[in-house]
Amino acid sequence: MKEKKEYMDLAALAVDAARKAGADAAEACISDTESVQIDVSGRQVETVNAVREAGIGVRVLKDQKLAFGSTNELSRKSIQGLVQDLMKKVVFHTPDEFNVIAGKEAGQIEGPWAGHAELVTYDPRIAEVTVQEKIKRAIELEASALDTSPKVVGSMITIYQDATSYIYLANSNGIAGWFPAAGCGGVAMVSAAEGDDHQSGSYSRACVKYADFDPVAVGRKAGENAVRMLGAKPIASMEVPLVVAPEMAVQILSFIVGMLSADEAQKGRSLFAGKIDGQVAAPVFNLIDDGRLKGGLATAPVDGEGVPMQTTPLIVDGVLKTYLFDSYCAKKGKTKSTGNRTRSGYGSAGGIGSTNLYLKPGDTPPESIMGGIDRGLYLTEAIGLFAGIDSASGDFSLPSAGFMIEEGKLAFPVRGISIGGNLFELLKAVDTIGSDLTWFQAVGSPTFSVKTIKIGGAG
Amino acid sequence: MAGAQKSRSMSRRQFFGTGAAGISSLAFSSALVEMLLNSTGCKSGLKPGLEGLIIPEDVLRKAVGFLMAKGADFGDIFVERAATDAVTSDDRKINTSTTIEKGVGFRAVKDGKTFYAYTDSFEPERLYETARYVADAASLGGGEEAAVVNLTARTSTLAFPITPLPTDVEVGKKIDLFQGLTERAWSADPRVVQAMQLMQEIIRQVNIATSSGELIHQTLGLTEFLVQTYVKDQQGSLQAAMDMRGAYAGRDFFTGENSFETVVDNSVRKALRLLEAVDSPRGVFPVVLGPGMNGVLFHESCGHGMEADLVFKGSNFKDQIGKHTAAKGVTLIDDGTIPQFPGSYAFDDEGTPSEKTVLIEDGIQRNYLCDLVWGKKLGLKSTGNGRRQSFRYPPVPRMRNTYIEKGTIPPQEIIASTKRGIYVGDVGGGGQVDVITGNFMMGVGEGYLIEDGKITRPIKGATLSGMGIQALKTIDMVGSDLKMFPSAGRCGKLQSAPVGFGMPTIRVRGILVGGKGEAWEDKG
Repeated sequence: MKEKKEYMDLAALAVDAARKAGADAAEACISDTESVQIDVSGRQVETVNAVREAGIGVRVLKDQKLAFGSTNELSRKSIQGLVQDLMKKVVFHTPDEFNVIAGKEAGQIEGPWAGHAELVTYDPRIAEVTVQEKIKRAIELEASALDTSPKVVGSMITIYQDATSYIYLANSNGIAGWFPAAGCGGVAMVSAAEGDDHQSGSYSRACVKYADFDPVAVGRKAGENAVRMLGAKPIASMEVPLVVAPEMAVQILSFIVGMLSADEAQKGRSLFAGKIDGQVAAPVFNLIDDGRLKGGLATAPVDGEGVPMQTTPLIVDGVLKTYLFDSYCAKKGKTKSTGNRTRSGYGSAGGIGSTNLYLKPGDTPPESIMGGIDRGLYLTEAIGLFAGIDSASGDFSLPSAGFMIEEGKLAFPVRGISIGGNLFELLKAVDTIGSDLTWFQAVGSPTFSVKTIKIGGAG
Repeated sequence: MAGAQKSRSMSRRQFFGTGAAGISSLAFSSALVEMLLNSTGCKSGLKPGLEGLIIPEDVLRKAVGFLMAKGADFGDIFVERAATDAVTSDDRKINTSTTIEKGVGFRAVKDGKTFYAYTDSFEPERLYETARYVADAASLGGGEEAAVVNLTARTSTLAFPITPLPTDVEVGKKIDLFQGLTERAWSADPRVVQAMQLMQEIIRQVNIATSSGELIHQTLGLTEFLVQTYVKDQQGSLQAAMDMRGAYAGRDFFTGENSFETVVDNSVRKALRLLEAVDSPRGVFPVVLGPGMNGVLFHESCGHGMEADLVFKGSNFKDQIGKHTAAKGVTLIDDGTIPQFPGSYAFDDEGTPSEKTVLIEDGIQRNYLCDLVWGKKLGLKSTGNGRRQSFRYPPVPRMRNTYIEKGTIPPQEIIASTKRGIYVGDVGGGGQVDVITGNFMMGVGEGYLIEDGKITRPIKGATLSGMGIQALKTIDMVGSDLKMFPSAGRCGKLQSAPVGFGMPTIRVRGILVGGKGEAWEDKG
């Protein structure tokens, strides 16, 4: 897959057409994607889905009013039609003094965005490797999970997926350029059984380089996760130290970052509104959004409106430093965009989102964190985070699973319990952060421990 | 309205056949939707015969030939054009957006394996190329065979008229409607701090050509309306509540209790009630689920486990036909033929006519939700549940409008005979479900205490969790008040699909209620 000069021209055409039709400013984004998804079941292919699609999304700004439209009909005629349609509709929209199309002053450069090679956003091999070869990897992924142990009895989901995209962006404020992006990865979910006991386990991994994806390792981890839960039982209610596994920690971080969007804060919908410079977590807690992380799955030279991606420390030593901004919220908040306008494709005008989000690792190996705990809970699963955490107060009660820690070691698996508390109190009670930063897609976390948690024995 | 009708028919004639160049002559309506409608004849909802196909019949026939030439067992071509017009109100700002998409998906099935690819082009050569690519992938060394497939158009008595068409209403009128609704939400109470509203009008025109010679041509128009309102009291407590409706119909559907105004009022009312709510009690005790949208709980925690692919892979409904999977008196139905409902259609996305499928009858499992591929693996006929989000995806078994059939007990009696428990108005608080094990966790949007047989104080922070099959087996009262809910909530099983829900008032004994309040036990 290669860049197409004609797509850069079509993006420019859309911007020109809008300006000629009276727009004060305009922006066009074309994405051209090639992708493969392979579902495997019972050591055989279940579904192969090969994808090739390109489309354009256009924003026009007139009299402080903004309109968005998109299509995958990439003829000049159709794009001109789309622009005409937007210009007719935009007059009916509500004016908003903060509506903005990003400008060059934000530091963009013209042309093919230099720097994407150093940032490692792309691996040409992903598009070059044959589907047959990828099918082999998907089958390997499932086989590795199934062969972990004779106790692994079935596979529920095994998927290999990759995508290669070229993004072309042009606007009337001098931004014009393109860059490639790629990623591949897999997920496996298997069930294990022993007597009447059935448990499921899963694992996933995604990366930019084809060679970095190790299906055997991912499969094995899924198998191990299922087997080690066999014999899980509820425990009595208690209040004990909590150790959060990376796979659970990333879910908590994802929940938190949703409330760190400047849009949510400005509209008064976030519990973090008005808490800038406030102590929101323990001093060991450092949360970073890094759009320039080398080889990060969400790494790109610029965001969805052409603003350079950057490294944004959100929580530093437990103190909330900033929200995530796009150009609109930055104008409203009289600050600069943090380069966090994310778009999910040509059909999306975008919104604020994190890039590569991670909790900064500490020095303590995870075994040492566990080693210091006489009796505690190692948390690997909690379901219904978004329903179970009260958006008004941060109070939560979540059905959970994990392992009992006894004398510094994982003693036995636990299921059928709930953990309860308050999210903000939990963040402030974090005491040790592990050295084992682990990435799941674009969110990473090390193991961390919390002084105490209330466990409700539900069973 | 009469004026709008007139100008529409004018513009329609003017525009016919002129393509995108004609767009500039159209005023104040969505030109792209107009373009799409003009080429379809969607007034009747379904157009029999070959007239107005997106891709000519001879091209489809030839492409099916290429698709089947390398020995696939079954194949189909799914042609789609779709346009979405959206209006949003957020933070008092009203905006619109338009998306138009087209593409063709090719599927070849060989020995139960599915090979799929799509193209965004309608050019015959690109179609043949993609068909050959899929045929090659599926052949796995199989030999060349001549494949000649004759296509015959199918017709249905089911129709889903869209009134008015999205294009009958000028953009300015839609903005006016939203200005009124925005004002209505913000001025409803001084404690309202944010209000969001979204309306989507989606027109999907679909042609399906199958290797068994079926040719389907249908157009569906989906209108969805969602609102969310945030309220804050003097103590700084923030609460939010939502409501929604969706229908395969035009705006005329949105009247009475489905009116835009009612939906807005509901979300304000529910959010305000949360400000006065007490912490929910916790434990396992009687939960009375109110009628209508709570059907989503059974959709998530049980319905998915009855989808043929998940049954095949070992969901806990596997090998249960003829066995008790629910309490006596419980009948679970999935119906794709209810007029206007979001899970209804004449044909599913692989050409099978839709139907009403009884899944559980008086507590006994009778059937599963089947498409062609997974139904075959289970030795069952397709129930018309093969659905896809768009041309980008191969079909998978999906639910339509899933509901628990009505029983005989008056709803008041169910509440009156509950000494201590909670009444759930809606499980609108979001949630998570493991569709394979049926483990679920859902937040209660609107809930109340039941004390001594009476609904008393509103509760907050309540969550419901448990196992789907366990919930079905512990239903001990089924009300006589079946209510269907035309939801705008999309079901997301890797692909999104519009679905409806329903149920009468029921009482369940085996659900764990989570909350910050006191621990309760089941006292009947």
